[in-house]
Amino acid sequence: MVTGEIQSSSPYLRDPDVQLMLRVRNGDDDAFTQLVTNYQDRLVSIFGHLVHDQTAAEDLAQEVFLRIYRARHGYEATAKFSTWLFRIANNLASNTRRSKGRRKEVQFAQGDSGAMGARPQEQILAEKSGLMPSRQMARTELQALVREALETLNERQRMALLLHKFEGMSYADIGETMEMTTPAVKSLLSRARENLRVKLEQYVR
Amino acid sequence: MAKISRLSPEQRSDLVAYLDGELEETATRQIEQTLAGSPVARHEVEMLTRTWELLDELPTMKASAEFTQKTLSIMEVPETAPPLSARPWFPQARRGAIVTAWVIGLAIVAWVGFAATNQWVPDPRQQLLEDLPVVEKLDQYSEIGSSVYLRKLSNSGLFNE
Repeated sequence: MVTGEIQSSSPYLRDPDVQLMLRVRNGDDDAFTQLVTNYQDRLVSIFGHLVHDQTAAEDLAQEVFLRIYRARHGYEATAKFSTWLFRIANNLASNTRRSKGRRKEVQFAQGDSGAMGARPQEQILAEKSGLMPSRQMARTELQALVREALETLNERQRMALLLHKFEGMSYADIGETMEMTTPAVKSLLSRARENLRVKLEQYVR
Repeated sequence: MAKISRLSPEQRSDLVAYLDGELEETATRQIEQTLAGSPVARHEVEMLTRTWELLDELPTMKASAEFTQKTLSIMEVPETAPPLSARPWFPQARRGAIVTAWVIGLAIVAWVGFAATNQWVPDPRQQLLEDLPVVEKLDQYSEIGSSVYLRKLSNSGLFNE
């Protein structure tokens, strides 16, 4: 096993993924393979929630790994490995969104109107919100509603929410990842969840 | 019956942090008191919790079976030499260069200031050096008295040989 240099002052050396990255820095490609295996699903999942496309999500995840690999020579354990990885992912997501310009509106699928025939979507949803609890709503329809609610959040709210929900990151970890203070993360998540509640409340009553 | 009041933005923010287990102890006690006495707050908690759980309905993407191999094959593509900024010694070298530049700059400024001071501010000792021949024979010159008389004597040719 290739051992990395000991940075005796770093509190992050206990992180096993930091140890793997230090091995990568020293030329151990097997360690890099292990990191890819450890994080590929998590990265693809986060990007999947942002871009809604498997290929695009995998391309972005690959770009994150490429940046990590290229930065290996100068790597220093100044944070948890996951914090550093998701910070790269967050920056990449921001850059991608900026380069794409104005995002398209998410459209509801109009085809699935059942036995009652085609009707305006709003009417269908209004009736369903009053009469039909979420568990009876078609799962795909519910997924579309949740996805659209998520799309109404701004970029930072959405990323903070995804990191908290699907990565289980604490406010402090999110702050490190997104380069914000913990109180700012608290405020951001509060607004995100409030916005989510406003959009989805009618479907959970 | 207590008046039902809306939650303030700060209370809403604390409520979310409370649900996330991120609220400090004092604020937690306050929130729990608020929840105990406010049906509005309790309703808010229920709605926040249930809408949060709806996120579990979202489909989760996973990396495809060939993702790992594809990713590793990209790493095998020869890359250009890492930029200087990526080298391990770069941060220290940059700090050293900045300090050195400051020292050199301050030395230059100090030298320019010293040279300017020397050039423009008259040195009283220099004046004394120029007057030294006169000062050395001051006693003799005092005997003579007037310089007008000396000029007349010189112009008279009395001492020409």
